Amino acid sequence: MASSSYSNSPCAACKFLRRKCMPDCIFAPYFPPEEPQKFANVHKIFGASNVSKLLNEVLPHQREDAVNSLAYEAEARIKDPVYGCVGAISVLQRHVLRLQKELEATNADLMRYACNDMPTSTTSQYGRRNMGHEGAGSIGQSSGLYYSSPWNNEPYDQDSQERGGDGNI
Amino acid sequence: MTLKGGTSQACAACKYQRRRCSAECPLSPYFPPEQPKLFQNAHKLFGVSNILKILKNLEPGQKNEAMRSIIYQANMRDKFPVYGCCWIICQLKYQILQAEEELHAVQAQLEMYRQHHHISSMQQPDDVTSQLELGMAPPSNGLSLFNHTTPPQNYNAMPAAALHMPQQQSYSNDSKGVYGYIDAKDINVANSFWVQQPNYANNNNNPMSIQSHELVVSQQQTIQQEVVQDYDELHPFFDTIDDRQSYIDSKEAYESSSEESLKDTTQSNEHIADNELKSAAARFSLTSVN
Repeated sequence: MASSSYSNSPCAACKFLRRKCMPDCIFAPYFPPEEPQKFANVHKIFGASNVSKLLNEVLPHQREDAVNSLAYEAEARIKDPVYGCVGAISVLQRHVLRLQKELEATNADLMRYACNDMPTSTTSQYGRRNMGHEGAGSIGQSSGLYYSSPWNNEPYDQDSQERGGDGNI
Repeated sequence: MTLKGGTSQACAACKYQRRRCSAECPLSPYFPPEQPKLFQNAHKLFGVSNILKILKNLEPGQKNEAMRSIIYQANMRDKFPVYGCCWIICQLKYQILQAEEELHAVQAQLEMYRQHHHISSMQQPDDVTSQLELGMAPPSNGLSLFNHTTPPQNYNAMPAAALHMPQQQSYSNDSKGVYGYIDAKDINVANSFWVQQPNYANNNNNPMSIQSHELVVSQQQTIQQEVVQDYDELHPFFDTIDDRQSYIDSKEAYESSSEESLKDTTQSNEHIADNELKSAAARFSLTSVN
């Protein structure tokens, strides 16, 4: 990352904050001087103090991922001050719900054909398949991880117009 | 969200910052005092000044949604300190991939059923055997095969054509001799019941017990040894019979098709019931193979 320029010039964070970049600077490995915007975004939305606290709370090998996720969230909040990256979550949640509804409808069609052909065995097979939607790790409406936005509660037929740009991740 | 009254308790933000919560406090509608964790998470990720900065540039109608998304984002960072909302995004993308794959699979199966239904509605009933050979589910006209009112010729034609085993018919007849009282629709119940019936198992349909009896016979009666060996070669077909028991149909159909082997089998059963297992095994193998 910033290893080549680490000893020569200060990292993007120290440059932005106009301070001396010490060898133990917590930002230096993750905010190279070639990417000044990355730190500027993070600092504008979260503040350098909060970011350094968050980085100190995670393990060193997780810090790069943490910085990148914070940088993504900050950029999303700058682009969309109202929803930030939560807008993308909302779009994805609607996509999941639409797919599940389509899957249920297709499974119902399949069940009709299967029931006509094989009254016992095929029915139970696809019945099990239908039950597999609420598996572990899925972000359902009851999971607490679900973001309930106003448009997510609209009927599926009326929400054909998606919010532009939110799905670009 | 509960709106805070002017004279009531300070909001979680003001309480945390130990300042007086005025009626104009911009954060009080979003951080009720009974949920201090909401504010702590938001304060830890954004900070009060950054939240206020975001709110300042928004229209009044957008502030509610902005605060909801800020609180959600802060809660996710509290739950997942490394990835925050990105963890949710990754999970949702994975969920979408899975759902799309499953949807494509179900759509493909549905299309197969539709084509199959279309083809079967165009074809004659005697094409059922070829579909069974391909391992496809029998169409609606295939259901008549499981009906007791089916003409015997349909029943007879099926095992020979679909199973491609010359021995199959005689073995299925033997099985039918035992299963005669079992309705084809209850065949699964009959199978579980079968395991619990040691008498029946020892009589005819348990290959292992028959084999052991025949070994005794072969040791004592060398004349029948070749027949026993032939029977051993056919032995694995019993497994396939178990899988195809659903094709064994009504008693009437069976009786009209293979009376001779039924008589032999019934005779064998009587002998077995009298504990004459050795001779029964010998008779059974002779009649079955021939």
